[in-house]
Amino acid sequence: MVKISMTVNGKNVEGEVSPRTLLVEFIREHLKLTGTHVGCDTSQCGACVIHVDGDSAKSCTMLAVQADGSNIITIEGLANGEEMHPMQAAFKENHGLQCGFCTPGMVMSAIDLANKNGDLTEELVREGLEGNICRCTGYHNIVKSVLDGANAMKAAE
Amino acid sequence: MYEFNYDKANSAADAASKLAASDDGKVLAGGQTLIPTMKQRLAAPEDVIDLASAGLSGIAVDGDIVVIGAMTTHATVASSSDVQSVIPALAELAGNIGDNQVRTRGTIGGSIANNDPAADYPAACMGLGATIITTKRGLSAEEFFTGLFETALDEDEIITAVKFPKVDSANYQKFPNPASRYALAGVFVAKTGSEVRVAVTGAGNDGVFRAHKLEEALAANFSADVVDISPMPEDSMIEDLHASAAYRKNLIGVMTKRAVQAC
Amino acid sequence: MSKLIPDITKDKIAGGVYQNKLHDSGHKHVNGQAVYVDDIPEPHGMLHIYMGMSTVAHAKIKSMDLSEMRASEGVACVLTVEDIPGINDYSPVKGDDPIFAEGKVEFIGQPIFAVAADTIDLARAAAKKAVIEYEELPAILTIADAMEKGSYVSDPHVMARGDADGRIATAKHVIKNSVELGGQEQFYLEGMIAMSIPGEDDEVKVYSSTQHPSEVQHNVAKALAVPDHAVTIETRRLGGGFGGKESQPALMASVSALVAKATGRAAKLRLDRDDDMVMTGKRHDFHFEYEVGFNDDGLIEGVSMLHACRAGYSSDLTDAIADRAMFHCDNVYWLPNIKVESYRCKTNTVSNTAFRGFGGPQGVFLIERIIDEIAAKLDKDPLEVRQKNFYGVDDNNVTPYHMTVEDNVIHEIFEELEESSDYQKRRAEIREFNKHSKVLKKGIAMTPVKFGISFTTTFLNQAGALVHIYTDGSVKLNHGGIEMGQGLFTKVAQVVAEEFQIDIERVKITATDTSKVPNTSATAASSGSDMNGMAAQAAARTIKQRLTDFAATQFQASVEDVEWLPNRVRVGSEEIAFTDLVKQAYLNRISLSSTGYYATPKIHYDRENCKGRPFFYFSYGAAVTEVLVDTLTGENKITRVDILHDVGKSLNPTIDLGQVEGAYVQGAGWLTTEELWWDQTGRLRTHAPSTYKIPACSDRAEDMRISLWEKGKNAEETIYRSKAVGEPPLVLGISAFHAISDAIASVTDYEVYPALDAPATAERVLMAVDRTKKAAKS
Repeated sequence: MVKISMTVNGKNVEGEVSPRTLLVEFIREHLKLTGTHVGCDTSQCGACVIHVDGDSAKSCTMLAVQADGSNIITIEGLANGEEMHPMQAAFKENHGLQCGFCTPGMVMSAIDLANKNGDLTEELVREGLEGNICRCTGYHNIVKSVLDGANAMKAAE
Repeated sequence: MYEFNYDKANSAADAASKLAASDDGKVLAGGQTLIPTMKQRLAAPEDVIDLASAGLSGIAVDGDIVVIGAMTTHATVASSSDVQSVIPALAELAGNIGDNQVRTRGTIGGSIANNDPAADYPAACMGLGATIITTKRGLSAEEFFTGLFETALDEDEIITAVKFPKVDSANYQKFPNPASRYALAGVFVAKTGSEVRVAVTGAGNDGVFRAHKLEEALAANFSADVVDISPMPEDSMIEDLHASAAYRKNLIGVMTKRAVQAC
Repeated sequence: MSKLIPDITKDKIAGGVYQNKLHDSGHKHVNGQAVYVDDIPEPHGMLHIYMGMSTVAHAKIKSMDLSEMRASEGVACVLTVEDIPGINDYSPVKGDDPIFAEGKVEFIGQPIFAVAADTIDLARAAAKKAVIEYEELPAILTIADAMEKGSYVSDPHVMARGDADGRIATAKHVIKNSVELGGQEQFYLEGMIAMSIPGEDDEVKVYSSTQHPSEVQHNVAKALAVPDHAVTIETRRLGGGFGGKESQPALMASVSALVAKATGRAAKLRLDRDDDMVMTGKRHDFHFEYEVGFNDDGLIEGVSMLHACRAGYSSDLTDAIADRAMFHCDNVYWLPNIKVESYRCKTNTVSNTAFRGFGGPQGVFLIERIIDEIAAKLDKDPLEVRQKNFYGVDDNNVTPYHMTVEDNVIHEIFEELEESSDYQKRRAEIREFNKHSKVLKKGIAMTPVKFGISFTTTFLNQAGALVHIYTDGSVKLNHGGIEMGQGLFTKVAQVVAEEFQIDIERVKITATDTSKVPNTSATAASSGSDMNGMAAQAAARTIKQRLTDFAATQFQASVEDVEWLPNRVRVGSEEIAFTDLVKQAYLNRISLSSTGYYATPKIHYDRENCKGRPFFYFSYGAAVTEVLVDTLTGENKITRVDILHDVGKSLNPTIDLGQVEGAYVQGAGWLTTEELWWDQTGRLRTHAPSTYKIPACSDRAEDMRISLWEKGKNAEETIYRSKAVGEPPLVLGISAFHAISDAIASVTDYEVYPALDAPATAERVLMAVDRTKKAAKS
């Protein structure tokens, strides 16, 4: 067992894990933050995307021990109290979701994309969300949501 | 995933000595291949040595040579203004590996050490005539890549950096597997003076290879018109669930022409 | 506070029918607070289950040594067929799906045993220690092989009307050909999962990710040898279903319940993605043969079809699926002389199952292929040939199964879309572009859909609901339908809000639960809001009638004087808030709770004679897809989509549009990139999203213009005259397939028909390009 500590959604957390514990397992099972989902085992679906030190990452493709000392944000850490993050609000308002299982990962990837691209275009969104699969929406409303959310993030700055 | 011991290395030498001390050790770079492989229980090392703190990340330009530290991520290479200005084809290649999340964590050293027959970086190494610097020596790409998932690395040897020489012009074209984004066929064409190198990934039974006949033809006349893949033996191509050998062979021709035109 | 004190002055309630109400769980989805089965806090001491699966396609089990596995660290329980107190079967219909293999295995991935341990890693590690010896038997893996050997899961079925062979023989033009159509993995993002908690006596509670809680309940009870009343299934939401969670979840639920009852501990069975894809069924792939006779205008005079689908090792729902393919052999076309033979092939592969459309899309695929090929042969625009063969509105309107099409609106939809999509102009431009573009070729196609709504197994067309009003005027709603992202809960809540004329925030939607509404049908066949909406409406109306009667008595008025206004009721000149009325009704001992029930009217079907009215009504739509094809690599991309779809009077346009968009992309994925690939030993090699290509964001067309048909209104008395929406638009993906074919045809200047098989992967497209070029030369 290995002792690890990290900041998750602004709080310091500690844990003792086996080296083979995946970061997503640590988040879901140890921290009980179940908004981060697991949709596949081959790093394609993106349901498990979180932010590690400011970058989006697939938490199913990281060991918990690799995140030792990191700053982690999960879907639960985005809202400011009752006030949603603009990207969350955009997904909700644009009906950029159906079954919702991909939504947390989609939102986390979208925020990263918006953070790293000053002017997000439709094309950038299409390419930038390559690592997230949605089986319900056909992506139409997701692209709308991301563009809206990115604009709202800019306006809020 | 099976149980293993986890250790961090604080330098390349430290990692090498830890590897040497282990019966069945693996180094962990970005983990974008190793972790899924371990999750599928296709790899079960006893010891995993994490290179994250080994100080192997970074890009430097030394005259006409770009030196990329083994732990440099694809995203860093793709966005590096140095790489973009000296070997733009390399930056572009890095920017098309996997998806955003893979590029953020995946590293050049991890990619070439794994030598997946469908990975992109081996084509760049072979095409550009890169030198792979390890804890023991420097190896040319031809020496380094020895077969499917096989390299010349000793069991206790670690890649520390890759040196890419500047070329007159270069371009990489790949036809990605739509699901995994690995190359079904990827062709790296580089031209320096009258020398032309053509490296092919994704298609060959033995992993990345140089297409010498194409190189000769292109050296004589650098034009897409001279690209003729018909002499390539079809039985040297991968035939699997993703594509037939004939299809891959055809893609090599198309990708080579595109790369030549884009050079 | 706004939620607690309803506004009794407004003109219109919030969230009534026909409004763009957002998904009821939307805020939870974006916050990560929506709970799926795997997110439910795990009871202390819960066991994790791993299933041992067959590694060979067909074999006798010679011996099984599980002793080392039983002794492995952390193992609490091992189950095989010997340990099932009840019946070893989880099949939906025929009793041919063993929970655990008994004596023989019939496909790679078939469950043989379950091992439950303290952690999933321990369970997996233990499973490795099982030693199973097989005596391999010859395996039938393909439709062709099954057809040759006459291997079927049920008897072939024939539907015929008129004289197909005779009319083909005398027709001026005849085409005889065949086409292959691949299957499809549902790929619900949330994999199969069930968690069981043992209760007192023979009771067990199962949280199951299922579209069909009642069937899961029956199967769990059957396996445990307990009455249905001992088993409760609860399902709040699914992370996608698409038909894949109709019959299959009974396996996961049964095994987890068996472990829970055997050990007295809670037990969870969650398949990882690869196991899920190997172990559970997919859309049926088909081999089709056809012969069609037609005149110079492309009018079909006679057509003969052969459907052969791959059922896999057992029946599952194959008969109903293959029947639905037959019911959709006509799509929107009048086929006076037709014969369809249907073969349901038994193979040593996973048992195929429901997938959005349930055979319907496969049936439509064939007739659309036939029409497309007729147009090519006559050098006509396929659109013209399609219109030529449309069912009439008042005549030529009887289906091959003798149901009169009474609600045909395809003529109007087609004309509107042809106009709004600029089809003719774009088609001409594309042909011009192709003349000058050597490598890149464009293609365009417009295809229609007519989709029959109702379960074709008539008795399934029933639904129940339960509505309570509490004394503070808040409402709790429960019904038999499952929320899997399609917005069903939102729509049914809209119906209840509308009935009571209260804001939708006053209506609480609750998890589907077999102890609240019993004997339900699957949320399938697009019927969710049609049936559950009606049942909930019936429940609400019962209470509403009581309240109306009470209000009339209370205010000494007649019932006719009671008017339901937003959040209030007017009786003559008096107005009373809904909340106050409810409280007074309670004090006067009026029941504020009711069940509701609905049985779809008018439907009946005589399968033996292929006659009847299996469908209450039809849904219609049309799509125009434009594609770009690289003729050197076969790579293809959808560049523009125009869709006009009829959902009747939409209960919720936002949600319905989302369904249409998602269904189209799923349908296009099925026919383009999604390829299932088995190796020669019968092993599925595309068992993860790294090998099986699901449409990603970058595959989405740059230009999508999707509209609901504004004139839409259901001719039948459905819930607020809306129409079902789940499955029909998936069929519109066929337009993408034909657009690709159109682009390929341009390579030979439309001389050679590409005769493309599906899915049109890049490699298959390239093969078609090469084939047509060769044919043009010779």
